[in-house]
Amino acid sequence: MPDESHVGRRYSAKGQQVEGDRAERFAQAIAGGDPVAEPGAVPPTYAAVYLMFPALGQIFGDAEVGLNLAGLIHGEQGFEFHRPVKAGDVVDSEAEIVSVESKRGMTFVGVDMRATGSDGEPVCSGHALLISR
Amino acid sequence: MALTRESVKVGDEVTPLSRTVTQEQISAYAEASGDVNPIHVNEEFARMVGLPGTIAHGMLNMAILTEALSRWAGGSDRVASVRVRFSKPLLPGDTITCTGKVVEVDEAAGIATLEVGATSDRGENVLTNGRATVRLSD
Repeated sequence: MPDESHVGRRYSAKGQQVEGDRAERFAQAIAGGDPVAEPGAVPPTYAAVYLMFPALGQIFGDAEVGLNLAGLIHGEQGFEFHRPVKAGDVVDSEAEIVSVESKRGMTFVGVDMRATGSDGEPVCSGHALLISR
Repeated sequence: MALTRESVKVGDEVTPLSRTVTQEQISAYAEASGDVNPIHVNEEFARMVGLPGTIAHGMLNMAILTEALSRWAGGSDRVASVRVRFSKPLLPGDTITCTGKVVEVDEAAGIATLEVGATSDRGENVLTNGRATVRLSD
């Protein structure tokens, strides 16, 4: 189970490529049966793909933190979009466990994440709250 | 039409965006996003873990909310930030309605802050405690 000793752990997922085809399928999935809102643009929440999943995937795989995936809930998510991404962009994604709190029999894990462009400028920042039961 | 510093006022509401989310759409999101957790795509598994059935990804609900903000603000590049709490699951066949209301306008910075959220047609508060900021043009 995660505990306070895991606060400060950092994870790095460098070289995340924004694939045009995949971003297009992502935009179509958001639209469902409706027309895609902005054909050709990468939806802002595509940050899930280039930032959130690569970062969280590493935390999930950290045996020392030992998150129980079966009882895991994505409680909250925030993103700050510093600039849009486009197909072909490559970003370096990083994450850090910033809080671990146990209450009411559950463990709340706060994760800060950040994607940086190949020019070193910030692309997207995020914060996730994971709840483990 | 992009929103301008002069045109946006506290109390303005985002044009609500409603969308009926099907299992087909949830499965397409699972494939495109890479989040193939069986609670989203496998009915039997979802019931086994105590859910009423498969549920939409919270991130899909957040994406639809972000689309509502993008449409209202005049482009996805206008959306500076979004955060939400995933309070209740959206089930296949549910219609999600995403809303927002301006609570602050910083004319100097060219930023409007909104309270945002989403409800389902079953009366559930799907996305709560939401905040977003939008960039305004001159």
